[in-house]
Amino acid sequence: MVDRLERLINLVIALRETRRPLTVDAINRRVAGYEGDRDDAWRRMFERDKADLRDLGVPVRTERVDRFEETLGYRIDPDDYDLPDVSFDPAELTALALAVQLTGLGDDAAPGLDKLAVDADLPGGQRTSARLPLELGLDAPNRGRLTDALLARRRVRFVYRRPADDEGVASPRRVEPHALLHYRGRWYLRGHDRDRGAIRTFRLDRIDGPVRLTGEAGAFEIPDQVPDPRQVVPGADSEPVDATVRASDEVAWTVARRARGSGVEDGDGWRRFTLRVTDPDAFVSWALDLGPELEVVGPADLRARIIDHLRELAG
Amino acid sequence: MNPTLARLRRLLVMVPWLLDHPGAEVEEVAERFGVTVGDVLDDLDVLGYCGLPGYGGGDLIEVTVSGGQVVLRMAEFFARPLALSVREGLALLLAARATRDSGVLPQPTAALDSAIAKLERHLGGQAGLPVVLDIEAGGQDLLSRLMPAVADQRVVRITYRSASKEETTQREVEPWALRSTRGAWYLQGHCRLAGEGRAFRLDRIRDLVVTDEAAPAPPEDQPPAPEYRPAPDDPVVVLDVDAASAWISDQVVLSDKRTLDDGRVRLTFQAATLDWAAALVTRLGAGATVVGPAELSDLVAGRARAVLATYGHA
Repeated sequence: MVDRLERLINLVIALRETRRPLTVDAINRRVAGYEGDRDDAWRRMFERDKADLRDLGVPVRTERVDRFEETLGYRIDPDDYDLPDVSFDPAELTALALAVQLTGLGDDAAPGLDKLAVDADLPGGQRTSARLPLELGLDAPNRGRLTDALLARRRVRFVYRRPADDEGVASPRRVEPHALLHYRGRWYLRGHDRDRGAIRTFRLDRIDGPVRLTGEAGAFEIPDQVPDPRQVVPGADSEPVDATVRASDEVAWTVARRARGSGVEDGDGWRRFTLRVTDPDAFVSWALDLGPELEVVGPADLRARIIDHLRELAG
Repeated sequence: MNPTLARLRRLLVMVPWLLDHPGAEVEEVAERFGVTVGDVLDDLDVLGYCGLPGYGGGDLIEVTVSGGQVVLRMAEFFARPLALSVREGLALLLAARATRDSGVLPQPTAALDSAIAKLERHLGGQAGLPVVLDIEAGGQDLLSRLMPAVADQRVVRITYRSASKEETTQREVEPWALRSTRGAWYLQGHCRLAGEGRAFRLDRIRDLVVTDEAAPAPPEDQPPAPEYRPAPDDPVVVLDVDAASAWISDQVVLSDKRTLDDGRVRLTFQAATLDWAAALVTRLGAGATVVGPAELSDLVAGRARAVLATYGHA
């Protein structure tokens, strides 16, 4: 019994070095690891090997053996296989290595970086994973699969759980993915919800379990207009208004970071600021969080909203 | 990933490198590819059985390991590494763009910029895949001052407004790491005031002084992500919330959730302090009703009256 690794390497070599596509029979006869065994088992073995190779990025083509025959065969075109001459200098590779580590995208990106680094003579030990004292978490479950779905324009199915749903109640969704958005530390999928017949935005961390890709590639068109997360992510609004607030000495510094300018003196150690509000709900939450140290002076509707809100609570 | 496939992936990069570096030391190969010397020897052993169909003398890959040095021959079909998969290329591009936009690198970022340009050229149309990054996170303005402190392990002195107690304190922190999670940057480190590891949201740091005092090295193990973990003594809160307020189930660590007859949801969770819970309930307003503890209802009402006083509605 030939080792599976050995069989896979031999399959890649055989498919790459053949000029005419190899039929499954030819593979069975000629490639070490498949020969001899003529029952269905080897055929299943080959199908699995082929799928795994493609998953690894090995470009296995399915082609007619020749112009006159319907029979299909397989081959790897060396032009597809070989990494083109893209030369990255050591400074660029080091910057990319840092970026990969920083973002936590190593599962997908690190093997690519290894390929790019073959041509460059990097100082030894560039792989040693000295822990970086910085982390910009960018990976999320299903991000890679949804990227694949976008690339191939394939439909996806997943189970989605909204916070208003009871535990255990979650709805299956069928979506045509249009874009992936990262905003305020979260990933979102924007796409056409086929059951609701409308464009919707989904949070990746509310998808239950793995996303499944279904149907053919190229099943739909992706709109040309790339969405702006500030406009499509729920809770983000696109029409900003200016608000005026007063802040006590205790919190003026934190208001100053949000405001344009450091504010003006407003008596008793309080300061007055102007803030740009893009998301009224988030603004009201923020103002209430600062408690009695902050007063929203205007616009009138936001101020009234806060007062009504507080009266309901004061009892 | 399946270990056999991971080995195959590594070999398809290792072989071209070995062809380019005849006579490389086994140790050097192991170090470069992040594996043990034993792994390298195992891989080379397998390679010796691989080659062109026929598998005769002139067909097989020739592997020689002599005096700790490796020479490969008859493997010209693997002279180049396997091309970047689109997924690998896009992940690299995403990592690079996010890093550039995050403000964590000292300016200018010439090497990163040129790497991004090369990746974009290499990926062609696929670089335009609709993946949108808005990397802005709260506290980004303090990053440039904190990064050198973390890198050089200097004690930092911060004036910090705590979220759970609404008090402002002076703290000395031995820094471990800076992490961005859920749209906010955090400084993690040993807090001398608390006498233990803590995470501080950068946008709650009022003042910051990087001292000359050297801090002890961070612990070996990566500190856990800066999230609230309930302690046994933390108060238990029960709230009924309507659909519009249900988003708070993402903000707390729920121990129970059930739907009531009127369609509202009853949430049970622990909070670091009742003050923190009161601030949360104040934000929800009429969308939430406190079921317990009674002390929390009083805190919320008291807090609402105090804020109304600021608005001149005592």
